[in-house]
Amino acid sequence: MSDAVDDTDMADTATDTRPDDPSDASGGASSDDQGDTESDLPPHRAVSRSRRLDSEERQGTPYTESQVIMPTVKVVTPFAFTYGLFITFHGSGSPGGGFQGGAIMAAVVFMIAFAFGIESTRDWLANTVVVALAVGGALAFAGIGLVPVALGGAFLQYDLLPIPILDPVKYGMEGVEIVGIAPIVSGVLMGLFFLLASGFDSDGSGFGSGSLDEDGSIDESEPIDEGSSLEEDAADAGGDR
Amino acid sequence: MSVVDAALAAGYTVGDFLLLAAAGFTVLAIGMLYRAVKGPTMQDRVLAVNVLGTNTVVILAILSAALSEPTFLDIALVYALLNFLMAIAISKFTVERGGVL
Amino acid sequence: MTVPGFASPVVAQVTAIEASLLAFVVLTALATAFARDVLAAVIVFGAYSLGMAALYTFYRAPDVALTEAAISAGVTTVLLLLTLAKTTRLDHDAVFESVNLPAAGAAGLLFAGLLLTMGDIPAIGSPDAPVWSNPDVSQWYLSESYAQTHVENTVMAVLAAFRGFDTFGEAVVVFAGGIAALIVLHREVFA
Repeated sequence: MSDAVDDTDMADTATDTRPDDPSDASGGASSDDQGDTESDLPPHRAVSRSRRLDSEERQGTPYTESQVIMPTVKVVTPFAFTYGLFITFHGSGSPGGGFQGGAIMAAVVFMIAFAFGIESTRDWLANTVVVALAVGGALAFAGIGLVPVALGGAFLQYDLLPIPILDPVKYGMEGVEIVGIAPIVSGVLMGLFFLLASGFDSDGSGFGSGSLDEDGSIDESEPIDEGSSLEEDAADAGGDR
Repeated sequence: MSVVDAALAAGYTVGDFLLLAAAGFTVLAIGMLYRAVKGPTMQDRVLAVNVLGTNTVVILAILSAALSEPTFLDIALVYALLNFLMAIAISKFTVERGGVL
Repeated sequence: MTVPGFASPVVAQVTAIEASLLAFVVLTALATAFARDVLAAVIVFGAYSLGMAALYTFYRAPDVALTEAAISAGVTTVLLLLTLAKTTRLDHDAVFESVNLPAAGAAGLLFAGLLLTMGDIPAIGSPDAPVWSNPDVSQWYLSESYAQTHVENTVMAVLAAFRGFDTFGEAVVVFAGGIAALIVLHREVFA
């Protein structure tokens, strides 16, 4: 918070990033990082660390990896995720269900993001995964509902589901909870988390204008960085007042 | 012991005492609420909400025992696992206004 | 104010925990509304959800309590904090917001009007309450849900089977909420 600390931190991060790529000032860094994410395998380690330092140079505070939070999250996360799975899968016999279990599984991702940095988690959990969870869940729910319609019944008429041996009513409901509601909820909540973390795209290049490339995600990364840097500068100025 | 025996003889069950204990923990939570609301610094509030979370886990566990519904322990478990997330989120937010999030 | 399964000598204890939990919830709600600092309001709102989860648990609504726990402790606080991180937060000296008297008067009148209807609401756990004694709805679900769906959790049976189409609509609403956030924030990708 004090000026002296800020200055030393700025100097540290500057010396760290300066040898990496001297043309760091403008959008060159983000395109470099984009290339790295495709080549280097552990993206949450090397690449985003440098991107982290880059963003800290703007903020004036280094990303401090807490010695308390990281080991604790490493211990807690498997249990919390397993518990979310339990709540989802055991919803028919105990309190819970897809909604609650999906929320807990999304909270596990929040935990990881707080421990290892949101940008690192964003690299680790691709946009494809989040979108596939949400869309796949919705399609699976609709599919389970429409199969009985195709067989001549009503929407979600579970006893017409072609499930061999097992009880079609019970396992149809379990299927709706497990592959329908839980992925939708966890995917949408993770998406909301990453969206709110990146903030409003103040450049207005959200739809259409940023899709000159055939791959929208790669092309989109540069305006995101620009926008977040602008917003962080504005937030910094607001905090100093 | 004699008081407990007399109470049990008068028709109270162990669950009633557990409910009374849960009420006592809730009164403690109300006391801790003062620190969460007033707390001069954000660190006070983070600690207060963490204590409140732990307190709630205890209350939920006692309620589960008092109402003899073992599945209610699921809720206490969820809080025990996720209360940590609330604490680290707020404490990391207080460092440089979320710049390190 | 008796709860099913409890005889009359425990009314005192039941009232004790009900009263303390309700006091906790009301106090946290008031503190959330009146807190001057937004971050303090978010923190106290987390405490509010803790009390609500305990209250739902006491009233034997474990599914609602579990939802409250998972959503409030895991999601709401985090999302509100992220939103705060993207906005500017002013420093205040005062702990509480100054009360706007006309607005408080209007809200108080509305509250008093709603309170007048409380006399007609049956007591909690009353066996004569229409929501409980209705043979066509509650009792029918309680007696028929296992026979028809082979699922022990009646709440899930109602959610996924008896009103499955509504649940499908809810899931689609959640999905649409994610899309709406994309549109509002001018983004094309989530992560």
